Amino acid sequence: MLAPSPTRPEAVAVRDLHKHFGALEVLRGISLSAREGEVVAILGSSGSGKSTLLRCINLLEVPEAGEVVVGDEAILWRARSRGRVPADAAQVDRIRSRVGMVFQSFNLWSHRTVLENVIEAPVHVQRRPRAACVAEAEALLAKVGIADKRDHYPAHLSGGQQQRAAIARALAMHPRVLLFDEPTSALDPERVAEVLRVMRALAEEGRTMLVVTHEMAFARDVAHRVVFLHEGRIEEDGPPDAVFGAPRSERFRQFLARGG
Amino acid sequence: MSALTLLGFGAGGWGAALLAAAATTLALALCGFAAGAVLGAAAAAAKLSGAAPLRALADVYTTVLRGVPDLLVIYLLYFGGSTALGTVAGWFGATGFVGLPAFGVGVAALGIISGAYQAEVFRGATLALDRGQLEAARAVGMHRGLMLRRVVAPLVARTALPGLGNVWQILLKDSALVSVTGLVELLRQAQVGAGSTRQPFTFYLAAGALYLAITSLSTWGFSRAETRARRGLP
Amino acid sequence: MIDLDFLAATVRALLAGVPVTLGLTAGSVACGGALAALAAFGRLAGGPVPDGLARLYVFVFRGTPLLVQIFLIYYGLGQFRPSLQAMGLWGFFREPYWCALLALSLNTGAYTAEILRGGILAVPHGALVAGRACGMPRLLLFRRVMLPLAARQALPAYGNEVISVVKATSLASTITLLEITGIAQKLIAQSFRALEVFLCAGAFYLAVTFVVIGLVRAAEAWLAPDLRPRPAVAPRAA
Repeated sequence: MLAPSPTRPEAVAVRDLHKHFGALEVLRGISLSAREGEVVAILGSSGSGKSTLLRCINLLEVPEAGEVVVGDEAILWRARSRGRVPADAAQVDRIRSRVGMVFQSFNLWSHRTVLENVIEAPVHVQRRPRAACVAEAEALLAKVGIADKRDHYPAHLSGGQQQRAAIARALAMHPRVLLFDEPTSALDPERVAEVLRVMRALAEEGRTMLVVTHEMAFARDVAHRVVFLHEGRIEEDGPPDAVFGAPRSERFRQFLARGG
Repeated sequence: MSALTLLGFGAGGWGAALLAAAATTLALALCGFAAGAVLGAAAAAAKLSGAAPLRALADVYTTVLRGVPDLLVIYLLYFGGSTALGTVAGWFGATGFVGLPAFGVGVAALGIISGAYQAEVFRGATLALDRGQLEAARAVGMHRGLMLRRVVAPLVARTALPGLGNVWQILLKDSALVSVTGLVELLRQAQVGAGSTRQPFTFYLAAGALYLAITSLSTWGFSRAETRARRGLP
Repeated sequence: MIDLDFLAATVRALLAGVPVTLGLTAGSVACGGALAALAAFGRLAGGPVPDGLARLYVFVFRGTPLLVQIFLIYYGLGQFRPSLQAMGLWGFFREPYWCALLALSLNTGAYTAEILRGGILAVPHGALVAGRACGMPRLLLFRRVMLPLAARQALPAYGNEVISVVKATSLASTITLLEITGIAQKLIAQSFRALEVFLCAGAFYLAVTFVVIGLVRAAEAWLAPDLRPRPAVAPRAA
């Protein structure tokens, strides 16, 4: 796909991100940014830190060092005796509501119907009028192809339908950036395509997306940029043609040879 | 007099008195259950997230209250409370035995007893929460209070409902023990009737039937609530 | 602040109630167990009449307070004293101990029946089919397959039921029996030192509760060897 113009502003950026769990260093200085409208596929074997990277962007994990910037707002930090914490909880909530997250295991709220899942945050976090949220939610559900499931509970949907509902839930917040954390890894093979189709449509609309995935075809055909993570560092970063055509990193070559 | 006249609503009938006493039983149980919910939620919170001393305190509370007869707890509160109050009254120059309001003692006792059971129910339901759904709430920018109200509380309540139904049934039947303090609830009223008419079997049978009616209604109510709450479960 | 002499005297006085509490517990657990087996059998294998009777029994005794049941038997049956005397049963119903034992047995029997039924219903069908497939006769199948599997399923709930019987024996004090709670109530009324007496009496009950928990754990380990931790196997020299 045609990459967005390099003059467009950055929608999201991290600089020199470090994160460890106990003795295990998961991120060792990651710098990455996405311009508005850019689709970045993040590849890497399990344990490479790619999910942790996404979770640091909306602060589900707190990185020990480095900057996180969403739009023109950088997260403010406050030092603690051990490490640091975000200085302003309201800022964290504000930034999270601008970043849509789609999880591997969907994480729909099981006590609410599909429609209720979609309008929950717009009504209660963003405090928008309910009627408008419902109308918009119905349009979003139609867009992801499950308009007829609006009054179903998540447990009564297939995995693919649940994931599309979760995408509608993320879109309802009008996010500036969409984060996808292995969105098709928990799905039966025959359900993967329906979710990828929705994601491709979103990319074509010009949404800013960071996608952690194992779907090589998606990375090659839909993403503007491909990033390969290995042991907490970025080993490859470039347009898919360049990265897949002439990989510079030996590890990425091995990764491709193993089939991702 | 025949049993029917005795338990009827005419002259010399005890029907109205028994029904009023059944209402007292219900009020006692409801207040005790509410008090127990507050205590139980606090104890569950202490067990799950509190500092070590709080956790130990909550563990002692639930272990002791679930291992010691409820009657003993009622005696402790009734006599112990009166003694404590008498001591305080003594400082202000009052003398003699100070009686506590029996309804209050009953509510406190039932609350303390059922709180120990409700704590376990709440703890189990909280442990059964799906972490992913909480993470999704954080990811859309819900602050703690909103997440507690819109996601955690409804999910916990749904899982806890069957357990709470059991605790309620136990509590209803336990409320009969409060009759030892002299509070005129259902069993006490039956005792009074039995004493003054010398027809104990008739009165205790009537009381038993009323308890059975209340517990059956409760079973029905809880199973309806569970059906409602199970919406959305596979 | 702590009056050791008073505590010692209290413990000594309460000790006299221990045999009554334990006797009532053991007696009603045994009789209640037999009743429960009968009721569970009636519900599972007995045809409509035994099933209906067992249902009614469980419904009535689980739906009313134990204290009402005790009063009904001890005080209530006094209303029929002449007929009971004529039947030669008055000697039994005159005694608070036997009345308490009867009420406790009937009560715990109703709860235990449901626990037993649940345990039996939880036996996997496949295990029974497998038994039949290798030619086990009914009784052997019941004894070697059904019973052990049902018992381990029902054991935790049954342990809780035994503990609640221990606690329930305290209600015998309301019909003049001097078991632990009855003695404790007398001591409190005499001394007005509710907390000290409560702590001593509570300690007795907790001790019994812990013994029951220990027994249930031991029974669990015995019935469910597959749930024990794996024995550590020493690595063999190559």
